[in-house]
Amino acid sequence: MEIRRGVWQVRADDALMKELDGWRSQGRLLQFTFDRGLASAYGADLIGPGSYRLNTLLNLIRRQGVLSQAHIPHHFFYEPNIRRKVVTSSSSGERAYVLTSSSLYGQYLQLELLAEARGLQKKESLHTVTVNLSSGEILKFPLPAHLIQGGGVDPALVVKRKCSLKNAYLSAAAHVAGAIAEQGQEWAQEALESMAAETEKLNAFFQGRSDSAEYEAKLQELQRRMQPVLAIDAVRGAVIYAPLFRYRLVVVDAQARERTKTVTYDPIANLHELDQ
Amino acid sequence: MLQFVPCFTGPTHKQESPTVLQEDSAGLYKVEIRGTSFKRILSHWRAKRWDGWSWYQLAKRADSLATAQNRSAGLLAVEHLQERWAQTGVVPYEHQIRTAERVIHEMQGQAILADEVGLGKTIEAGLILKEYILRGLAKKVLILTPASLVWQWYHELYEKFGITAGIQRTQWDWQFADILIASIDTAKREPHASIVSSLIYDLVIVDEAHKLKNSSTASYRFVNSIQKKYCLMLTATPVQNDLKELYNLIGLIKPGQLGSYQSFKARFMEDKRTPKNPTELRKLLDQVMIRNRRDEGQVRFTARIVHPLVISLDPKEQDIYNRVTEFVKAQGRRTGLSNMLPLITLQREVCSSFLATALTLEKMMGNMQGPELEQAAALLKNLAEVKQNSKCDALERLVSQIDDKAIIFTEYKASQEYIRYRLEKAGYRTLAFDGSLSRGKKQWVRHMFQREAQFLVSTESGGEGLNFQFCNQVINYDLPWNPMRLEQRIGRVHRLGQTRDVHIYNLITKGTVEEHIMYLLHQKINMFESIIGELDAILLHLNLGKSFESELMKIFLEHERSDRIKESLDQIAEQILQGRAEIEASSWEGLL
Repeated sequence: MEIRRGVWQVRADDALMKELDGWRSQGRLLQFTFDRGLASAYGADLIGPGSYRLNTLLNLIRRQGVLSQAHIPHHFFYEPNIRRKVVTSSSSGERAYVLTSSSLYGQYLQLELLAEARGLQKKESLHTVTVNLSSGEILKFPLPAHLIQGGGVDPALVVKRKCSLKNAYLSAAAHVAGAIAEQGQEWAQEALESMAAETEKLNAFFQGRSDSAEYEAKLQELQRRMQPVLAIDAVRGAVIYAPLFRYRLVVVDAQARERTKTVTYDPIANLHELDQ
Repeated sequence: MLQFVPCFTGPTHKQESPTVLQEDSAGLYKVEIRGTSFKRILSHWRAKRWDGWSWYQLAKRADSLATAQNRSAGLLAVEHLQERWAQTGVVPYEHQIRTAERVIHEMQGQAILADEVGLGKTIEAGLILKEYILRGLAKKVLILTPASLVWQWYHELYEKFGITAGIQRTQWDWQFADILIASIDTAKREPHASIVSSLIYDLVIVDEAHKLKNSSTASYRFVNSIQKKYCLMLTATPVQNDLKELYNLIGLIKPGQLGSYQSFKARFMEDKRTPKNPTELRKLLDQVMIRNRRDEGQVRFTARIVHPLVISLDPKEQDIYNRVTEFVKAQGRRTGLSNMLPLITLQREVCSSFLATALTLEKMMGNMQGPELEQAAALLKNLAEVKQNSKCDALERLVSQIDDKAIIFTEYKASQEYIRYRLEKAGYRTLAFDGSLSRGKKQWVRHMFQREAQFLVSTESGGEGLNFQFCNQVINYDLPWNPMRLEQRIGRVHRLGQTRDVHIYNLITKGTVEEHIMYLLHQKINMFESIIGELDAILLHLNLGKSFESELMKIFLEHERSDRIKESLDQIAEQILQGRAEIEASSWEGLL
């Protein structure tokens, strides 16, 4: 609540204060403001770029949400249209009838990746990549955020994933590395040039002693400092259950022979998958 | 409402070092796919620990905010420290910020910070350290300083940069503390040296780096053996007698910057004190060394005005002072110079207050026997009988003339309480400030002093850490024997942000050891008016920093006559003045 103009007050319990200020802290009333003048006048915590309280809050928030789950409900998609699409497209020159249908969920892994390009300077960038855990493919577009709802789904309705989490992560990281490479490699070029100049100086200093342990150590120091490296790590992830429509079809060919087949349609990836 | 998941694991929570899942090459650079955080995600998956979707989205926004902050081209540290600096009254100089920017953006974290004394090399190093921590480029940091500066570094880093460093005490500390402050003399000895050399540091800071000017010393070899990514050397005197010293120092941070020694000699040395091709040499030095000068006009301090107030003791007080001094001398002669600390304390306390002397004497009596004990008991009885306190009377007279806030410094808690009792009785509002106060309480007392009370009575330990630029009167109720401690006292008010001249009142009791101390500090070495930070550099240069008090005590024990004491003090002053001259001469005009 706003206890005076521009100063807010909130009750923080013991657990929250320990998270914010360390293990010795106890629950108390936190007063905060966005105004530097009010902060010093009333002793309220300042919330602003670089302020202690904002940093503790950001740190607390960033420790949360490591792995979450969400889903896109089936009803966002108009099933009769999908059924028509499946029936017509899977029976070229043949007639198909739907025997049974079911609504299932496929798994997508959304990863937030932090890429650090370290050359002479360090540049950080965040990338959100979604991997289809059925096919292992990277989704080329972001999942429509307005369709996603928090929470999981009935596990019995979830189709088993075919791609391991590790492989999904590796391909997501490779995707990000590729995207960064496309942006240009000047940062690496610059670092390599500086490193070459420094190595030359080092060689001049260690003239005739280039097999010494000291030379080796200094060379390693130099590489540690200047070698261009792109480091990618997953910061957090979420499993998103996307709707799948599965149909068991009877297909009748021109010779009136019947056979059955199962088709799974993924409206997100717009894929048909022939199971059998 | 969002429910958070407690993640805090206790005070010893440590981060894992990054693990690399896969390494690849992308043409010019290496690609490391790390598994540190991914493992955390996997463990959540296996434990079916799902965080709420709202937390996930909020955390993503927090990540974006943090990453955007890190993309700033200037110094993140300046923005992050604004709030702390406003609280502690720190105002960084422009040259300090510029230096930090140059070291980070142009010198890749390898530099000699060679500012002239008093320009704040420690602040520059702290800024650079904070910046590297904020950018995630430095985690394992080692700060090597002379033993006498370890605590000073600790306080500076904590108060001004919010960095809680460890102080090295055992051999286990090297590995377990991420940011460690250590005495270089301890670190270079075994088993410490081997442990330090086996570790990889992100940043190493060496204070008083001129001690590494000789490449054949153990200190030089030790620092050279440390594996480090970034390295800062702090010295006001990068070269003193020989250009080779400069070559050696640069060889520690950037070997080869000046070529091999033979080529350096041929290209840049006329003889060991005269540089050849100074323009070319300066160009090379500019790439690794930053030297800011006082006369460049960036730093302006207000004046220090010293008022010595000589107080005569009444005959009874003088008599008891003489008897305590005699007792101290007799004890000193008997026990020798090795066990001097209690005697130094007693001799200093008798100039401060008899109450403090009595308390120390009572403690000392626990280890005494026979006639010695009887003598001490008699002395204690006499001390208790003295009701007069000429020094405190003089203090009362002085404060009645000061129509402003003042900090009264004393070395002893007993004196502090007595002063407060007397001033409160006389109707003044006083506050006590000492080392036993928590950080929060210190802030509160500072605030109360600024708003309410007229006098702050502070002990020595309370003098470190906080700044009181809103006050410009310092009263030294008693004088510390170590000039560096005296400088710390004055430095609380006489620093950047002080807009008025600072008045320093020294209460000196006539016919006591204080007279000699004042003679040395004020008349001989002009301590009170000298440039900030100059004296500690000189004392360190002369290796006198820690032993200064013992040196003085030796003189007082050895000599009875006042003129002989003065002669010995003159010799010390001569050494200090010579040290100052050496430091000044070492500026190598035109080159540095």
